[in-house]
Amino acid sequence: MIEVPTTDWDAERRREAVLEALSLVWDPELALDVVSLGLVYDIRIDGDVVEIDMTLTTPGCPVSEQLPAEAEAAVSAALPEVEVRLQVVWDPPWTPERLTPTALEQLGFAPRR
Amino acid sequence: MANATHAATGDAADGATRAGSAAPFVPGGGATVPPASVPLSFLAAGGVGLWALGLAVWFAADRLVHTPAHPGAVAAVHVGVLAFLTTAVLGAAHQFAPVVARRRLRSVTAARLTLVGMLATAWLLPSGFAHGPESLIAAGAVTGSLTVLLAAWNLSGPLSARDGGVPLVGLRWSIGFLVATVAFGAVYAFNRHAAWFPLLPNRVMAHAHLGLLGWLGLTYVAVAEKLWPMFLLAHRPRARSGAWAVRLLAVGVPFLAAGLLFAVPLLAWPGAAASAAGLAAHLTSLAGAVRHRRRPLELLHGFLFVSVGFLVAGVALGAAAALADVDLADRSRLVAAEVAALVAWLGLAVVGHAHKIVPFIGYSALRARGVSTSPSGRPLLFGDLFHPGVARATLGTASSGFVLAIAGILSTSTALVALGGVGISLTGLLSTLNLAIGPVRVLRRHAAADAPAPTAAALR
Repeated sequence: MIEVPTTDWDAERRREAVLEALSLVWDPELALDVVSLGLVYDIRIDGDVVEIDMTLTTPGCPVSEQLPAEAEAAVSAALPEVEVRLQVVWDPPWTPERLTPTALEQLGFAPRR
Repeated sequence: MANATHAATGDAADGATRAGSAAPFVPGGGATVPPASVPLSFLAAGGVGLWALGLAVWFAADRLVHTPAHPGAVAAVHVGVLAFLTTAVLGAAHQFAPVVARRRLRSVTAARLTLVGMLATAWLLPSGFAHGPESLIAAGAVTGSLTVLLAAWNLSGPLSARDGGVPLVGLRWSIGFLVATVAFGAVYAFNRHAAWFPLLPNRVMAHAHLGLLGWLGLTYVAVAEKLWPMFLLAHRPRARSGAWAVRLLAVGVPFLAAGLLFAVPLLAWPGAAASAAGLAAHLTSLAGAVRHRRRPLELLHGFLFVSVGFLVAGVALGAAAALADVDLADRSRLVAAEVAALVAWLGLAVVGHAHKIVPFIGYSALRARGVSTSPSGRPLLFGDLFHPGVARATLGTASSGFVLAIAGILSTSTALVALGGVGISLTGLLSTLNLAIGPVRVLRRHAAADAPAPTAAALR
């Protein structure tokens, strides 16, 4: 059996699908998605494996502990053919500077200089 | 690094529903937290306690104004401190400590027994004080002592974790002060009429300050160091004021209580100074969190700012009671007003944070039942789980209720204190109903939306 290597185009399409799925996972306290909050640090695609590095706004934040499970489930639902490996990382720690301009705007703040 | 921005669209709800149904949802985010029914039942009981405190203040208004040491007034204060504050704060601690320490309670059954014990204590003791018989007070003291020992043993599981920072350090101290306060109270209960330990005013004050500052105050000061940065999105990596607040209170309160107990000013004054410095550091920490926040001010901050006003008033009244050249009756009124202001400080903070904590726990429980959208169809948010207008009204009734009660005590106006009691009672009623009905309403709408359409045969 001949395996067809994954093309860059496939990886890019999957990356977009991953981001789209993650943008549907909301923080119920802040009413913002995890992408806009800047919680998604890295997405690596290697064949049929998608690895996601994600952080939380603060260690021990009770509601944020639920977000990784939801994020993994959302990506798995959007891309059922791939294996999703999501890990929570703490380095570098999240800071409000990671909020996207849209998120800052929705929170009522302009980006700080 | 991913840095895409996606505007929330109507599709978000469907996506969130998909996400929610694709994986088992664990309330609270892990196996370390107790079932939602544990903290929620404590907090609901605390809400009923606040309602009862208002009624007790209303009934005992005359005693609170003219004879603050009268058993009726003592009963009202114990309703506030036991049925409201201690019950609610213990419930929050049973949720907070396992989450922050990432370590379970020793026993969920023990947590439920703690609530039963607290309910019994909170009603036995005030009833005994108000109208006897004496055996009620003794029974309340025994029940309270056993309950607090049970809670301390249960919480020692998560509190023995090495990580957890300032909040866990503060909680360890505050649970110790809780045990000491109850032991103190038990001695009072069994020696109410004995000559070797008469209830002198300085001894009553030692008990009050140990409970209000050492147990309840230090718990709030410690827990706030975790909650404020989270709720305000305030990143302050070099902030040290919170740690100083915990240290100074932990050191200051024992000296203050011992100095009052044994009437030794050389102990009491340094203790009072350290405690006041700790509270000032606590306010500095709040100011830092507000200054570095990345969220607009909201209802919680209203509760926090009014609460701060009561804390400042309480410290000022305490200082005035200690320093002012007044007669015994005026000094008693100043102390009574100080105690009322400290109860208001903690009360406003508890009710304000309950509007964050209860929706979180309710949200987790709803998600565990498969509810992932609000009645309007978008992803379920905390804000969907209570009515914001009622919550704002609660802030109004709480603020005005406590202001009237304190003003009434200081101006010897029974009518003002009674009116304050009505405001406090309304606060308990409104906040408890508002926070309890919200999740039930969402669950019912979800169930109605999922119900199969009636068949033609059924309609016939």
